[in-house]
Amino acid sequence: MKNKIENILLMMMLPVIVFIAWHYVTTTGKVPTLILPTIKSVWETILFQLTKGTLLKDLGISLMRIVKGYSLALFFGIALGVLMGMSERVNKFFILTCTSVRQIPMMAWVPLLVMWFGIGEESKVSVIFLASYFPILVNTISGISSTDSKLLEVGRMYQLNKWEMFTKIYLPSAIPSIFVGLKLGLGTAWMAVVGAEMIAASSGIGFRINDARSLMQYPIVFCGMAGIAVTGVLMDGLLSIITKACTPWQNRK
Amino acid sequence: MLNELVIKNLSKSFPVNGEKVSVLENINLSIKDGEFVVIVGHSGCGKSTLLKIIAGLETQEEGICNLNGKAITRPGFDRGMIFQEHRLFPWLTIGKNIQVGLGNHSKGEKEKITNQYLDMVKLSDFKHAYPSQLSGGMSQRAAIARALAPRPEILLLDEPFGALDALTKVELQEEILKIRTQEKSTMIMVTHDIDEAVFLADRVVVMSSRPGKIKDIISIELDTVRNRGNSDFAWYKSKIYHYFFESREKTPEFII
Repeated sequence: MKNKIENILLMMMLPVIVFIAWHYVTTTGKVPTLILPTIKSVWETILFQLTKGTLLKDLGISLMRIVKGYSLALFFGIALGVLMGMSERVNKFFILTCTSVRQIPMMAWVPLLVMWFGIGEESKVSVIFLASYFPILVNTISGISSTDSKLLEVGRMYQLNKWEMFTKIYLPSAIPSIFVGLKLGLGTAWMAVVGAEMIAASSGIGFRINDARSLMQYPIVFCGMAGIAVTGVLMDGLLSIITKACTPWQNRK
Repeated sequence: MLNELVIKNLSKSFPVNGEKVSVLENINLSIKDGEFVVIVGHSGCGKSTLLKIIAGLETQEEGICNLNGKAITRPGFDRGMIFQEHRLFPWLTIGKNIQVGLGNHSKGEKEKITNQYLDMVKLSDFKHAYPSQLSGGMSQRAAIARALAPRPEILLLDEPFGALDALTKVELQEEILKIRTQEKSTMIMVTHDIDEAVFLADRVVVMSSRPGKIKDIISIELDTVRNRGNSDFAWYKSKIYHYFFESREKTPEFII
């Protein structure tokens, strides 16, 4: 218990230092408030946006896009990853294409996707899909293909069929690695959607930040950024909880 | 001829860097139902490969390997295997691990068999524990229970106690003898521990390495419950030691 409190204190230390420094430089006038707004004005903006509902609505729109694009990436990423991990031939067939496409930065896709799908939902969802697909795919492949051959031998000894080999050995053995991919993918998806919304969108948290920037409403920019950070941390935490629930055999000594 | 394992003129080689390296050469061995045979040899003498051929995990190049008159081509529930590492699935509880080989049984039966074998290896309290929560000796006991649960006719043991500390090893050796009298299954064990071989075996098969050949087969004519301090016990041990060290005496460096 004492250890837990200590850990929390340790985690909070740096944010507190940053806030104190922020407060100091803005209130003493060392940095003009036009460049860095005061904590008070940002906080007031956050409260105002929260009561008005704009912040949550913006975040909600972006999150909905994440849910769509990320679910697609989760399904197709794990499916192809499993096939590529289990079969050398499937792996050889796809690997060059996948590795090449993976090199293209997310933002480089945006012009093309906007041309194809316009600035509506489809272009955002496809950006999220592309951003989260590859981390999930790569980690699934590595998880499946690093399955211990000694355990596979045990499976053969007990005459498990292909499906049982997959559900009883390959999949559980790959699950920790798949979840690493899911976590990385979620992070990149969140970054990608905000980026894409800033470049081409008419709604969402990225659009709000870009809009506020052009109107010189910097507290709103900060408010949006804070919203992105908090949502990201919450999503990451949620995924950690799901990971723990799905891998009860880990961290038990 | 019932429940007999017959190996005749069996040979096997592996490709190493494009060259064929012979691992097993002209192996002849028959093992009767209920017999405890221990194969002793240096590491790399092909004894584990021989065990894997009997298990059906590997196939021989030449010769035959028949169980009850039928050629062994694949693994089967009539053979169970225990490896040097426990090889329990880390994501399954001990109880579920034991049920891996019980696919054809009903749920109630599965539970019954699991409890029975957990009891036999004294792990009843650990049914819902994960392998990472068990010590090395306990994990190996769980692996023994898993191998026994489908009631194999032949239990294959590939250096099963090699990774355990000396005390746990002796404890498990005694336990395997008890299990043998209860289950009445044939046991084929591979080891490099001569003391272990003499303590457990009805017959000890001595193998030479590269290529693996059978040098001799020694029947251990001692009481079923063996005393390690017995002079006959020591006699058998030194006899088997002799097979491994006589060849060394003949190498030139030792003659000078």
